[in-house]
Amino acid sequence: MNVGATRDLRADNALILPAWIGLTTIALALSVFMGVVDIPPVDVIAALVGKGSAQARSIIIDIRLPRVLVGMVVGVHFAVAGFILQSITRNPLADPSIMGISQGATLAVGVFLLFSVYIHNPGSNTLAELPLAWLPSIAIIGGLLAGLAIYAMAFGRNLGPIRLTICGVAVGALLHAVAIGLIAGWGSARIEILLEWLSGSLYARSWDHLRYLLPFTVVGLAMLPLIRRPLTMLRFDSSVSRSFGLSHKLHFSLALALACCLAASAVGVAGPIVFVGLIVPHLARFLAGRRFALVLPFTLALGIVVVTLGDLVGRLAGGAEEIPIGVVTAIFGAPLLLVLLRRMA
Amino acid sequence: MSLACSKISIDYGQRRALFDFDFALQPGRIHGLIGPNGSGKSTALQALAGLIKPASGSVELDGRQITTMSRREIARRLAFLPQQPSAPEEMTVEQLARQARFAHVGLLRGYGPHDEKLIAWALESTGVSDFAGRGLQELSGGERQRAWISAALAQEARILLLDEPTSYLDIGYQVEILDLIHRLSRDRGVSIVMAIHDINQAISVCDRISLLQGGRLVFDDEPRALAANNLVETVFRIRGRFVEITPGSPPHFDVELARWSDGARDH
Ligand SMILES: Nc1ncnc2c1ncn2[C@@H]1O[C@H](COP(=O)(O)OP(=O)(O)OP(=O)(O)O)[C@@H](O)[C@H]1O
Ligand SMILES: [Mg+2]
Repeated sequence: MNVGATRDLRADNALILPAWIGLTTIALALSVFMGVVDIPPVDVIAALVGKGSAQARSIIIDIRLPRVLVGMVVGVHFAVAGFILQSITRNPLADPSIMGISQGATLAVGVFLLFSVYIHNPGSNTLAELPLAWLPSIAIIGGLLAGLAIYAMAFGRNLGPIRLTICGVAVGALLHAVAIGLIAGWGSARIEILLEWLSGSLYARSWDHLRYLLPFTVVGLAMLPLIRRPLTMLRFDSSVSRSFGLSHKLHFSLALALACCLAASAVGVAGPIVFVGLIVPHLARFLAGRRFALVLPFTLALGIVVVTLGDLVGRLAGGAEEIPIGVVTAIFGAPLLLVLLRRMA
Repeated sequence: MSLACSKISIDYGQRRALFDFDFALQPGRIHGLIGPNGSGKSTALQALAGLIKPASGSVELDGRQITTMSRREIARRLAFLPQQPSAPEEMTVEQLARQARFAHVGLLRGYGPHDEKLIAWALESTGVSDFAGRGLQELSGGERQRAWISAALAQEARILLLDEPTSYLDIGYQVEILDLIHRLSRDRGVSIVMAIHDINQAISVCDRISLLQGGRLVFDDEPRALAANNLVETVFRIRGRFVEITPGSPPHFDVELARWSDGARDH
C-alpha cells in the first residue's frame, strides 16, 4: 500500500480546516467592511460591538450584516444542491437552474404571490411587501414538484445522464416561461420587487429572511453526513452501487429531495442565483483533486465565498443602482462554463 | 451460504433472455458459466445477484428470497462484479476498494483496522497495490479489471459472482487470478460463480459447469462430463476434440481452426 500518500493526505487535511475558515472569514469581513456607503473600518468595528453612531449601526447591523449572512447561507444552499445534483445525475452540467428546480420554485412563488395579493388586498393589484415567512416553504413545494418530474424521468423511462439533463432543461424552460407569463399577465404597477427577486438578488435582505431560511439550512446540512457515502456511490452504475450494498432508488430520491429543498428554499429568499450550483462544485473538485473527501467541505466554503464576493462586486460596481447577484454570477459564470466545457471535451 | 434458483426466466422488454434457468451453488465450490456471446451468462449472474427481477421463478440466498432482502444484507453475503463496470472519473484503485466496504461500514461508521486490513489484502492479492493511488481511468484494461476484482474481494462476501473476470488479462494474470479464485474457494471456503469464455480454463478450475445456449441451460454437471459429449462443438459451432494431455489431469479441448484445415487441404 502506498502509505506515504495516505500520510500526505492526512497532513493536508490538518491544514484544510484553518484555510477553509480563513478564506470564508476574509470574504465575509470584506463584505461587511466594504459597501456603497463608505464607513471607516474603526466605525464598522464599533458598530459591530454595539457602539458608534446610530447611522453606522443601522447600516452595518440592519443592512449589511443580514445581507451578507443571507448571501452566505444562500451560497451554501445552491452550491450543495449543485454538488448533489451533479453526483446523482452523473452529469457535470447539472445544477438547480439547469435541471428546472429553481424554475419550479420560482413558479410556485409567483403563483403564491399572485393569490396572496388578491386575498390580502382585494381590489388592488399591487404588492407592497413579500410575505417572507412563507416564501421558502412555498418555493420548496415548487422545487420538489420539479424534482418529482426529474425522478419520474430518471426511473420511469430509464434515461441516461445527458437525456435526463435535456429533459430537465425543457421542464425548466417551460416552468420559467409560465412564471414570466404569469407575472407579465398580472401587469401590476409594482412588480419591481418581484422582478428584482426573479433575477436573483440580495438587495434589502433582512434578519427576517435569515430567520426563515436558517431552519432549512440547519436541517439540510445535518443530512449531509448521512448522504456523504451514498453520494459517492451513486456515481457508479446502479448495478455496481447496488452490488456494493446501496439501495440505489432510496438514496437517489433522498439526495434529490435534499437538493430540491436546499435550492428551492434559497430561491424563495433570494431568487434564482444562477451558475453557483454549477460552477462551485467544479471549482471544489478542481482544488481537491484526488482528495475525494474534501470536495464537499470545499463546496461549502466556495459557495459562501462566491456569493458573498459576487454580491460585494455587484454592490460596488453598480453604485447607487446595484447589480443583482444573479446577474453578477451569470456574467462571471458563463465564461467559466465555457472553460469547463472545453476542459471536458 | 447457499445460492440457488429454480426455473427463473428473465425478460428484457418483450424479449426473453433466459428460459427456466436452474442453478444451485455448492458451498466452497467454483461454478463456471459458459456459452456463446448473448447466450445469457451475464443475465443469469445479474439475476443471481438480485439485480434483475425474474419474470417467473425466484432466487434464494441463504434460504431467503433475495427480493425480500435489503441490498446491504445481500452485499454482506454476495459480491458481484459486472462484465464492464464503470467508475466515477477521478476515483483511484484504493478508493474503489474502500467503496466496496460500504456493506460493512454503512452510512456513518468509520473504517476500523479490520476494514483497512481487508482492503490492503484485496489490493495485495490482485497485484494492484503498487498503483493503488492511481486513477482507474489511467490504467490499462487488465490493470483496471484487477482493480475491480480487488474491490469484489474487499467486500468480504462468502459468495463471489464474477462476470468474465479474466477477459482483459494477459496469460500470466489469467493464471494468477484463476489461482486466487481457486485458493479462495479451497482455503477460505468462498463459493464462486463465474462466467468465462476459455473452455479449458473453465474445465481445469471449475468444480461444476453450466453451459448456456440461447438463454437455455443445455448442460449442468462436472467438467469431465462435458468432455464425454460433443455439446461444445454443437453449441459453439466449432470442430475439435477433447484430449488428455497428461494422465489424471482434466481433459483439454483442442479446437480445430477452420483456416488451418483449409490451408492444409490446399497444399
Ligand atoms: N439491458 C439489456 N436490454 C435488452 N436486452 C439485453 C440486455 N442485456 C442483454 N440483453 C440481451 O439478452 C441476451 C443475453 O445477454 P447476456 O448479456 O446475458 O449474454 P452473455 O452470455 O453474457 O454474452 P457475452 O458473452 O457477450 O457477455 C442477449 O441477446 C442480449 O442482446
Ligand atoms: Mg456477458
